[in-house]
Amino acid sequence: MPTKEEVFEKIRTALVEALGVDEEEVTPQATLVGDLGAESIDFLDIVFRLEKAFDIKIPRGELFPEDILTDATYVQDGKVTEAGIAELRKRMPFANLDAFAKNPAVQEFGSLLTVADMCRFVEGKVEVTD
Amino acid sequence: MRFEGKTAIVTGGSRGIGRACVMRLAAEGAKVAFIYQSNQQAAESLVAELNLPEGRATALQADVRDLQRAHEIVDSLFDQWGQIDVLINSAGIVHDGLLGAMTQEQWRDVIDTNLGGTFNYCHAVTQPMMMKRRGSIVNLSSTAAEFAARGQVNYAASKGGINGLSRALAKELAPRGVRVNAIAPGMIETDMSQVVRGIAGDQIQKIIPLRRIGRPEEIAAAAAFLASDEASYLTGQVLRVDGGLSLGSH
Repeated sequence: MPTKEEVFEKIRTALVEALGVDEEEVTPQATLVGDLGAESIDFLDIVFRLEKAFDIKIPRGELFPEDILTDATYVQDGKVTEAGIAELRKRMPFANLDAFAKNPAVQEFGSLLTVADMCRFVEGKVEVTD
Repeated sequence: MRFEGKTAIVTGGSRGIGRACVMRLAAEGAKVAFIYQSNQQAAESLVAELNLPEGRATALQADVRDLQRAHEIVDSLFDQWGQIDVLINSAGIVHDGLLGAMTQEQWRDVIDTNLGGTFNYCHAVTQPMMMKRRGSIVNLSSTAAEFAARGQVNYAASKGGINGLSRALAKELAPRGVRVNAIAPGMIETDMSQVVRGIAGDQIQKIIPLRRIGRPEEIAAAAAFLASDEASYLTGQVLRVDGGLSLGSH
């Protein structure tokens, strides 16, 4: 059973390898897209590395539910609708969506996910100790 | 030995072009797993003919239309090998008929096997290849994708789809060191083309500038080139290997 620190270390390794960033750049507050330069295709790579590192299965779209952003029922004029925000909150309980909800432009969505969110996501999948 | 220490998966590997690809890659040092759907005898005979040490050539039964099975196979090979260097998507069928008489089942069988099967195995290898920052995918298309043939709307659509898939995927994966190309064979001496060759007889050779039907080994040679590091700057291309057929008859 890993500790929270061990979860963070494994995630940091995955991000360093997937994104080619320095270890020091991977802080809990760092955003994956804005600070670490992740592109949408990198999420596939990150997910695969997390699956291998933690021996878990992560269904497509669970960590980063991009399908909502391309669904016309949830997006109008380039912004995620209230229903879309509600769906995102349901699908991403590990992420803090408050800032995004104030300006829900689709192009801003990628910037909201932080390393800490990713840690919470993994902690929800594996049993952790303090 | 261009594939010494490399690993490869070939779909549709027990017969025709796929079989020739398996033989070529194995002869050049690759550890190969090939997928066959139903002809267990042909698969076993190929493994026996290769006569390689345990684990160098493996036959796996699967229906390429099954995405989950594709992932199971690729995940298991990745765990075993630690890398997937090459994927050759060669599984394909024909089920010809004029459109007005074509059943939905005929349409779906061909689209789901040829295009869907290619999608499934590309889908399964994408993450392992991206993770290792290397890999080469070769998808078997056909000149039928671009040059019309009566009675082949399903086959032509499936192969046209493979060309589009290959180009789009090449663009997606290029920044991660993974190359994707397609080969468009012309008339090749396989079981699949037997009916067409039988109907056309000698006439068909007259419209091929090189004046002969191609051999599966000639497609395998092109596939091995595209899969190898010799093609390291080549991605998103559809290579016609057709004896000049696509140049036209005049």
